[in-house]
Amino acid sequence: MVNGKHRLAARFYHQDAPLAAIRAAAGRALGADEALALGLVTAAPDDLEWSDELRLALEERASLSPDALTGMEANLRFGPGETMATRVFGRLSAWQNWIFIRPNATGESGALKVFGTGSKAKFNRERV
Amino acid sequence: MTIDYSEKIPNNVGLADNRTLQRALEHWQPGFQSWWADMGPEGTSNYDVYLRTATSVDPKGWAHFDYVKMPDYRWGIFLAPAEAGRQVNFGAHKGEAAWQDVPGEYRSNLRRLIVTQGDTEPASVEQQRHLGLTAPSLYDLRNLFQVNVEEGRHLWAMVYLLHAYFGRDGREEAEALLERRSGDADNPRILGAFNEKTPDWLAFFMFTYFTDRDGKYQLASLAESGFDPLARTCRFMLTEEAHHMFVGESGVGRVIQRTCDAMKELASDDVAKLRAAGVIDLPTIQRYLNFHFSVTMDLFGADVSSNAATFYSTGLKGRFDEARLDDDHLLAGATYPVLEVRDGRLATIEAPMLNALNEKLRDDYIKDAAAGVERWNRIIEKAGIPFRLRVPHKAFHRKIGPLSAAHVDPDGHVVDAGTWAKHEREWLPSAQDRAFVASLMGPVAEPGRYANWIAPPARGINNQPADFAYVRFG
Repeated sequence: MVNGKHRLAARFYHQDAPLAAIRAAAGRALGADEALALGLVTAAPDDLEWSDELRLALEERASLSPDALTGMEANLRFGPGETMATRVFGRLSAWQNWIFIRPNATGESGALKVFGTGSKAKFNRERV
Repeated sequence: MTIDYSEKIPNNVGLADNRTLQRALEHWQPGFQSWWADMGPEGTSNYDVYLRTATSVDPKGWAHFDYVKMPDYRWGIFLAPAEAGRQVNFGAHKGEAAWQDVPGEYRSNLRRLIVTQGDTEPASVEQQRHLGLTAPSLYDLRNLFQVNVEEGRHLWAMVYLLHAYFGRDGREEAEALLERRSGDADNPRILGAFNEKTPDWLAFFMFTYFTDRDGKYQLASLAESGFDPLARTCRFMLTEEAHHMFVGESGVGRVIQRTCDAMKELASDDVAKLRAAGVIDLPTIQRYLNFHFSVTMDLFGADVSSNAATFYSTGLKGRFDEARLDDDHLLAGATYPVLEVRDGRLATIEAPMLNALNEKLRDDYIKDAAAGVERWNRIIEKAGIPFRLRVPHKAFHRKIGPLSAAHVDPDGHVVDAGTWAKHEREWLPSAQDRAFVASLMGPVAEPGRYANWIAPPARGINNQPADFAYVRFG
C-alpha cells in the first residue's frame, strides 16, 4: 500500500502470531473453518444458516448509501499508522469525494441531513 | 439423539421441524439451567410449587395449574396466533405486508430492541432471588415464584427470536443475556432500574406494580411491530405480565389494608406507634411509591430521542394501542409537549412528535399507574383515614434526560440542592425506612397464615381455599 505496509500485516495490527500462522498456511487450499480461524474471512455460515445470513448481509448492505460504502472503504483502507499518503488517499478522499459533496449524504433527504429526525434518507443509486 | 421437543419445550413455533432452532437451543438451554441454578430463587430447587404453566396459547392451555419443582418448569415458546393479512401499521412501510423475516436493513435496530427487552427478564429474577427467604405467606411465596418462572419464560421468548431470526449474532446475544448480572459493576444489566436492589417485599410489590407495568407498555409497543414474530411474541407475553401487575397492585393494597386496620385499632396515625405495632406507616409507603415510580419513569428513555423516531418511522416499535389511534400513523410535522427546565422552572416545549414518542408512552403509562393508586386510596378512604397516596410529578428524581440536571420536588417545583437535601427524607425512603421495613421481613410458612404487616388476599390462586399449601418444602 502507499504507506509501504503489507495489507495483511495492517489487518492484523502487525502482530506476529497471526501473521506467522498465515505464512505457515500459504500455498495450501484452505477450508472455510480454517480461513475463519486464521482471521482471513469475516464469517463462515454453515448449511443451516447460509441462506439467511447471506440474505441479511446483502439486504443490510443494499440499504446503505452506495457512496457511504465507498467512503467507508476508503476511510478504513489503510488501518492504523497514518502517513501523509494514507491521509490523502484514505480519510481525505473518503470524506471529500464520497460524503461531503454527495447528495446521498448532504442533499435534501440525504443521510446526514435527516439524521435524528426519524425520516428515512432517500438515496440515488445511480452514479451521480 | 432424539428429543421430544414438544414435551420438553412446549411450543407453537414448529420446534420439532426447525433444525436451526433446535441446534441453538440445545446449546443455550443448559446455560439457562445453570443460570437458573446460580441466579434463580435461592435454595428452592426441591420445593414443590403450585404454578401456572402455559402449554398452549388457547384459553384452555395457557393456564395449567399444578405442583412443579422450579428447575423442572417447562419453559415454553409461544406466539399469539397469526393474524391473516397483517400489515405494517405505521411509519414509512405502512400498508406493506408485515415482515415474517428480519429485513436486513433493520437487523441491528431490531436486535437491539429485542436484547434490551430480553435483558430485563433475567435481571428481575436476579433482583428478587433472596425474597423467598422472607415471604410473608405461602400464597405470596408462590406468587413470587410464578413471577420468576414467567420472567424466565419471557427470556425464552426473546431468545427464541434471537435464535430463529438473527443467525450467529443472535446466538451470541442470547449467550450474553445469561452472562450479564443485575448490579454487577463490570457486567451490569442494560437498564438502570434493573440494577437496583429489590431488598424487601414492599419493594417487590412496588416493583411488580410500577416497573412491570413499564414492561406492559414496552411490550404493547413492540406488539405493534411490523416484524410479525416480535409482535406475536409480545402479545402472548402481555397475558402473563397482567398477573405480575396483579401481584403488585394486590400486594401493596394488602399492606395498606393492614396498616389502616392497625390505625383504626390504635386510633392513631403516629408513625412511631404504628411501627411499634409492626405495620408500615402510610408515609413510608408513599416514599417507596415515589422511589419506584421515579426509577420507572427513567425506563422510558430520553424525553426527546432520535432512536425513538427511527424505531417508529421504520415500523419497528409503535405507540401504545397504535392501531386504535386516529391519525395518519406517520406523524411527520406533528408535535408533542415535552418538559424542560428553563429559568429555574419547568417549561413545556413542543417537540416533533416522532422524537417525543418516549414521552408519549411515559404519559400513557402515568395515566394507567395513577389509576391503580386511586384504587389504593379507596382502601384508605373506606377506613375513614384522611390520607391520600399519589404519584409524584414525572420530573421528580429523574436520572435520565435533561430533567436529571435539576432537583424537582414531588409537586413539580424545581428546587435548589439545599432544599432537596433538607426534604429528601420526606420524599424518598431513607436508610432508616428501609431498615425498618427489613426488620419486619421474616418467613411465614404455615398454610393460611400471614405476616403481621400484610392482610390476607381476598381469594386464593385458582380459587384455592384460604389454607391451601401453595408451596411444599422438599
